[in-house]
Amino acid sequence: MSERESSRCIEATAADWIARLDRGPLSHEESQVLEAWLSGDARRRGALLRADALSLLSESGQALGPDFDAAQFARAASPAPQTPVSRRKVLAWTGAGGLAAASLAVLVVSVRPAAAITTGLGEVRLVTLDDGSTVILNTQSSMRVRYSDTIRRIELLYGEAYFTVVPDGQRPFVVDLAGQPLRAARGTFRVRKLDDKPVDVLVDQGAVSLGEAGTPRAVVMPAQTRVTLPAQGPVPAPQPVSAELLSRALAWREGRIAFEGEQLGEAAAEFARYSKTRIEIRDPALAREPITGLFAASDPAGFSRAVASALDAQAEQQGNTVILTRRKAQP
Amino acid sequence: MHAINRERTRWFLRNILPHEQALRNWLARRQPLGLEADDIIQETYAIFADLETVAEIRFPRAYLFQVARSVITKHVRRARVVSIRTMDDLTELDPRDDYPSPERIAIDRDELRRLAEAIASMPDRTQEAFVLRRVDGLSQREISARMAISENTVEKHIARGLRFLADWFGHGGNALAEASRVRDSENMSLDERARIQSVH
Repeated sequence: MSERESSRCIEATAADWIARLDRGPLSHEESQVLEAWLSGDARRRGALLRADALSLLSESGQALGPDFDAAQFARAASPAPQTPVSRRKVLAWTGAGGLAAASLAVLVVSVRPAAAITTGLGEVRLVTLDDGSTVILNTQSSMRVRYSDTIRRIELLYGEAYFTVVPDGQRPFVVDLAGQPLRAARGTFRVRKLDDKPVDVLVDQGAVSLGEAGTPRAVVMPAQTRVTLPAQGPVPAPQPVSAELLSRALAWREGRIAFEGEQLGEAAAEFARYSKTRIEIRDPALAREPITGLFAASDPAGFSRAVASALDAQAEQQGNTVILTRRKAQP
Repeated sequence: MHAINRERTRWFLRNILPHEQALRNWLARRQPLGLEADDIIQETYAIFADLETVAEIRFPRAYLFQVARSVITKHVRRARVVSIRTMDDLTELDPRDDYPSPERIAIDRDELRRLAEAIASMPDRTQEAFVLRRVDGLSQREISARMAISENTVEKHIARGLRFLADWFGHGGNALAEASRVRDSENMSLDERARIQSVH
């Protein structure tokens, strides 16, 4: 992933490197890996500089002295839930600030067998499974977790989910999809199962296998490929996808929607997945205008205003509907 | 290896990082469509990382804004749909901002308080490891022995601590700090996973 890797992801990797450097000198191989990482997206070098500066700043922590008690600095407002039940906390999801929308609603659930986990409209939820694998559920999605001693089975009932599978030599990780099991030893991939649309699988890292294992019909999907499953029949060959497309398709994990030349009409339909507010386009030509950009999924009104100003249209909010029209004065 | 240049980092910490909040405020007011403040900031800082020398930068704050502006302009040209707001005036920059002011001197104490708050927001085990490293000055190896966890796990805690710090200084800790308690269990599994791995 080069160009559109999220800044947050870069920030995390930069922190990993600074922590590694804080531990001691890098081996020759590690240096090469770091150099290779830095030679990619320019933002990485900026993030590493910032992380290093913050690490340097934190060295002044010695000034806090041996009697430093962090508890004294904890925000009074922050609750300290003790029981596993009260840990189930969905974080505020505010899109108004646009930038703040990047925060992912996080919820850690201690998953009981066969418990269905369901997200509401506009909710994105990170679920950590018993083995350390994680699932990010997109808006209006539902899955059931069935872990046993021999298999880690997930049933995606509907919606969209991004899986990060950690290896477990004993138990394969299997996602049940309408008759076609998806198997992964390790890796990250997205599965989308929306009403009236074929199941869509996108592999980010690692590899997955689709179809009954061990049969000639099983298809292996390497990293950066996509398959759209037909209602029946064999699994088609995986299509390679660019890193840019991949990161656009996964922008929802950070509460965003990315477009690259999609028609405004399609963009409006995409926003409808995340919010009660509907975008109504009153002009067929306007609905065909291409849209490019990265937007907060929770802010269809802000998106409409931005689009209106760029396309010389007009956005008018009426209750839960934003109406987009051409400016009358324009030819 | 020149991935990290501590001299540059020191200069950056003293001259650029203190203006990050002002830069964020400035970006938030404009909020160029399709561009995220963090992306612009990282790309802007990259330019500072890549500069041959910073010796000639007399007005770091003004220079910082100028670089950020050039980063935005570059993106604006690339994007096909851009908010009109992106185009409007990119602020007259007042070099006088670079003269030390009484507020600027007060920042150090303020930063120490912010650091303490950022540490307070970390999940328990991460906080313990981070305090041992940064307040008590133990090495990662010593922390590993003290906390009876692997060095790899210590490193992961330090990395996570740095992410909290990055978040605290960038966003006032709103995103991660709230999540910190929630993540306690994830945190636990970090220790446990490492333990399992070391058995193999």
